[in-house]
Amino acid sequence: MAYSEKVIDHYENPRNVGSMDKDDPQVATGMVGAPACGDVMKLQLRISEDGIIEDAKFKTYGCGSAIASSSLVTEWVKGKSIEEAGKIKNTAIAEELALPPVKIHCSILAEDAIKAAIEDYRSKNPQ
Amino acid sequence: MNYFQLLGLDSQFNLDTKALAQTYQNLQRAVHPDRFAHGTEQEKLLAVKKSTLVNDAYQTLKNPIKRAEYMLVLRNVDMPSEQVSFSDNSFLMRQMELREMLAEVKHADDVDAAVLEVTQVLEAEFEQLFKTMQTQLNENTEAANALACENLRKLKFYQKLHVELDKLEDLLFDD
Repeated sequence: MAYSEKVIDHYENPRNVGSMDKDDPQVATGMVGAPACGDVMKLQLRISEDGIIEDAKFKTYGCGSAIASSSLVTEWVKGKSIEEAGKIKNTAIAEELALPPVKIHCSILAEDAIKAAIEDYRSKNPQ
Repeated sequence: MNYFQLLGLDSQFNLDTKALAQTYQNLQRAVHPDRFAHGTEQEKLLAVKKSTLVNDAYQTLKNPIKRAEYMLVLRNVDMPSEQVSFSDNSFLMRQMELREMLAEVKHADDVDAAVLEVTQVLEAEFEQLFKTMQTQLNENTEAANALACENLRKLKFYQKLHVELDKLEDLLFDD
């Protein structure tokens, strides 16, 4: 299967690979996995007091599309509020990366990772 | 008729794999399309269909993971689609650790020992999960089936790790 140029670019030059301290109250961690392919994705967001995502890091073990989806998401969420980030849809990710139908689940995984991270942040910082 | 009935077995997770292979071979001989090479088009088509069915049944029941999945389907357990993300945090953290362990193997001073260690760790964890699922499947209550389903999804991550380990071994030792 041929990957799109954007997928290859993110795969070869992944943005924001790394880890943050998951015990830091300002760091939100989202862990998700896809049983279909065994991919595992970790997305971490550093969130300011006023709910703005200042930084994002990811670590993904999976195929090129899963790596590209998480890499793209770290670029997209930076500077957004958690509400805005929570509205990112997998369809937008799939469209941007021109993912073929069999790889749509990679974009779903990335969307779910954002949601899981936001949930983690809310449980750490109850309003 | 389900696959167990087709192959003359009780619908149980623990099965006699020798008997399964024997029945499969007998059935496959009886319906093999070559036997109908001189038959009508209809007979040939029917033979191909039967042969495919027998083969699907055998491949499903032979493989413990596929067998477990098939049994849960027969029991009408509500299985989440494979596309639904899995979000058991501590399990996924462990998966990350295992992936990292696998990635470190090629930088180890003693690569052989590192491969052996990863292999043993993966096998032990797989085995433990597998046994738990086996007990739950044998229990066959609604609650136990739901738990078996959860463990089946976890086992798929270990299957993937195993594939990755095989790839790594090919890379390291296949000159």
